[in-house]
Amino acid sequence: MTAKFRKPTEDPIWLKALLGGLAFGFIAVLLLLPLVLVFKEALAHGLSAFWATMTEPDTLAAVRLSLTAAAIAVPLNTVFGISAAWAIAKFDFKGKTFLVTLIDLPFSVSPVVSGLIYVLVFGAQGWFGASLADHNVRILFALPGIVLATIFVTFPFVARELIPLMVDQGRDEEEAAATLGATGFQTFLRVTLPNIKWGLLYGILLCNARALGEFGAVSVVSGHIRGVTNTMPLHVELLYNNYDYVGAFAVAALLAMLGLVTLVLKSLLEWRYAGELAAMHRH
Amino acid sequence: MSFLTVDSVAKKFGRFPALNGASFIAPQGGFVSLLGPSGSGKTTLLRILGGLEFADSGSVRFADLNWLDMPARTRNAGFVFQQYALFKHMTVADNIAFGLRVRPRHTRPSKAAITSRVKELLDLVQLPGLEGRYPSQLSGGQRQRVAVARALAIEPRMLLLDEPFGALDAKVRKELRADLRRIHDHTGVTTVFVTHDQEEAFAVADLVAVMRDGRIEQYGAPADVRRNPKTAFVSEFLTA
Amino acid sequence: MSAIGLKFAPLQSRHVLPGFKLSLGFTLFYLTSLVLIPLLALVLRPASLGLEGFWDAISTPRVLASLRLSFGMALAAAIIDSIFGFIIAWVLVRYRFPGKRLLDAVIDLPFALPTAVAGIALSTLYAPNGWIGSLLIGYGIKIAYTPWGVLVAMIFIGLPFTVRTVQPVLSELGLEIEEAAATLGATRLQTISRVVLPMLMPAILTGAAMAFARGAGEYGSIIFIAGNIPAVSEIAPLLIVTKLEQYDYAGAAAIGVVMLAASFVMLLALNGLQSWAAKRR
Repeated sequence: MTAKFRKPTEDPIWLKALLGGLAFGFIAVLLLLPLVLVFKEALAHGLSAFWATMTEPDTLAAVRLSLTAAAIAVPLNTVFGISAAWAIAKFDFKGKTFLVTLIDLPFSVSPVVSGLIYVLVFGAQGWFGASLADHNVRILFALPGIVLATIFVTFPFVARELIPLMVDQGRDEEEAAATLGATGFQTFLRVTLPNIKWGLLYGILLCNARALGEFGAVSVVSGHIRGVTNTMPLHVELLYNNYDYVGAFAVAALLAMLGLVTLVLKSLLEWRYAGELAAMHRH
Repeated sequence: MSFLTVDSVAKKFGRFPALNGASFIAPQGGFVSLLGPSGSGKTTLLRILGGLEFADSGSVRFADLNWLDMPARTRNAGFVFQQYALFKHMTVADNIAFGLRVRPRHTRPSKAAITSRVKELLDLVQLPGLEGRYPSQLSGGQRQRVAVARALAIEPRMLLLDEPFGALDAKVRKELRADLRRIHDHTGVTTVFVTHDQEEAFAVADLVAVMRDGRIEQYGAPADVRRNPKTAFVSEFLTA
Repeated sequence: MSAIGLKFAPLQSRHVLPGFKLSLGFTLFYLTSLVLIPLLALVLRPASLGLEGFWDAISTPRVLASLRLSFGMALAAAIIDSIFGFIIAWVLVRYRFPGKRLLDAVIDLPFALPTAVAGIALSTLYAPNGWIGSLLIGYGIKIAYTPWGVLVAMIFIGLPFTVRTVQPVLSELGLEIEEAAATLGATRLQTISRVVLPMLMPAILTGAAMAFARGAGEYGSIIFIAGNIPAVSEIAPLLIVTKLEQYDYAGAAAIGVVMLAASFVMLLALNGLQSWAAKRR
């Protein structure tokens, strides 16, 4: 007898076609079309127009500023993430759950609010505004403010990847190393780090992508000074609002490329090292 | 007087032949164990009986029914899984009542009838009073008892059990084994039971089918199979 | 440090592993100085207005309209994303087709694409002369520069949350549960509605809550497509920026506090959902 019936868990072909079509269509229109458009618009006037925007001094300054901000924020948040994960995974103390919730907090805050809080601390009418002005220290509308806002919005990335991973791994291996006479630093470097390296890389990757792409928070604290405090995403806005669409989409294409590279690396990590990433176990 | 007739059932997964023409017959109310090492096809055969897989060839008759022509939903065969497959968001009572509540309105029992049926079944599987618990609040053995009660609630034509005690420790296995036999004798439902544990198979069943490579090597009453192994494989498997 | 040391006193006084004080100390210092103190500045700021002044600041028609738009559209987007998130997760987990991994990776595009890039792309796409906008204008539908533009942008950024919360739970659910339902006589529809969906519900609600929170606070991908007409298509985060540009710090902080309170409520709801889901295991 041939298979006369479908298995009870198998959807009929018309349903497969319907749901598959809906999923594909939704993803194509909602997600892929904008991506395609970015590259098409960036090259609308040819490669030379694209290149002209990319080599403009203001564009280069924006690239430099974004890279600088990320180069400061990402390592700081990485150190924080490792430190927090070490404390939370390797020791028992009261208030642990609360601490984990606090670390996740910046993710649930609107980017604009993330910028706003630093304006309220360092701005002209802020807590430290007057004394900073007296000493001629610029935080807002300058690199420090941009870095602070970037740190805030990328705050949990490394920590929330490492915490569940290191909690899962427990503390047996570290304790074994300690009984064998290893110092704390040796233990971390030779025992812990090899166990978490892919998770760490994963967290840094996501942290870096967000740091380079952040718009709302940085927009509030930057002051939008062309060529000075404009990051790449802010430069996109400026060009777009000045009706320089090719320029705006050229810089956008660069950012989109960065996003795509991140996505490819992230997917590679997920496929290859699924077992060593907390993100793949989280439900 | 064969009641269940399994005739040369074959099934391939891709190019791997899981069943190579398995045949056996069983009387009404019989208790058959499918015994064999992993990969011998016993679970595949059971899933075909349950309507969860489809045979490539062969036939199964149950009473006057052309069994393989019916979808799982209408076969009314209670199936018990190794990992229980209980509905975790439902209480024990709702789990057991599920099969009655999904019936079309004209054959669905009344609420009161369902409640009393649930109570009766919980008594039968020796879990009285646990109606309101959730599966996560039960031990492994208790969960499997609930799964058996759920399968019996639909008054099945046939009870199919796939390594039902495989996830349990030795002591609980023995208790459940004895209870399963008692429940079978009480309900008289034709039962097919898959296991790789020969002691279990011989202790609980009326008929044992020793399987190997998708075929039934030997079929008979436990004492006969034990006394007269027909092939080298069977005697080796039984002494292992 | 000593006060903190007291508050976070370890349960055992001695540890085998070193670094407890150092790592926890640094963690708390970093968290407090960069996150908690600035957030405190936000919470305290509207105090200068007094309760009445705070109420006046957030009860103007323009502010109320912006809050209604941000939260209302975020809710609509979360519902739409939940439905499509479930369908996409189902297709990715249950069906086999070529290019599945690619499709799976593409889901995270809104995470990877900077919001400003998404913003100008969506705006250009749905503008009356854009690829999609020009098709819709024939039917008299305008998306860009209307509140519907806000909805489209929120659907865009929220989708990965709903897919990614449902997908692992669905794949862990396995087929046995559905097979059990089928052998008990349930139809396919009964199996989905009474077994599969209830078991996925904590995950679906979690994803929806995350998409909602993200949508309500979203700024970059919305402001280009929204048109930003006060009281019509002006979102709350944009109004905060506008008030800051007018040096109305207290007014900006008042809206900020409302947004922050909403995200706290969402965080609590998410924690509740998580423990609900954990109890079911």
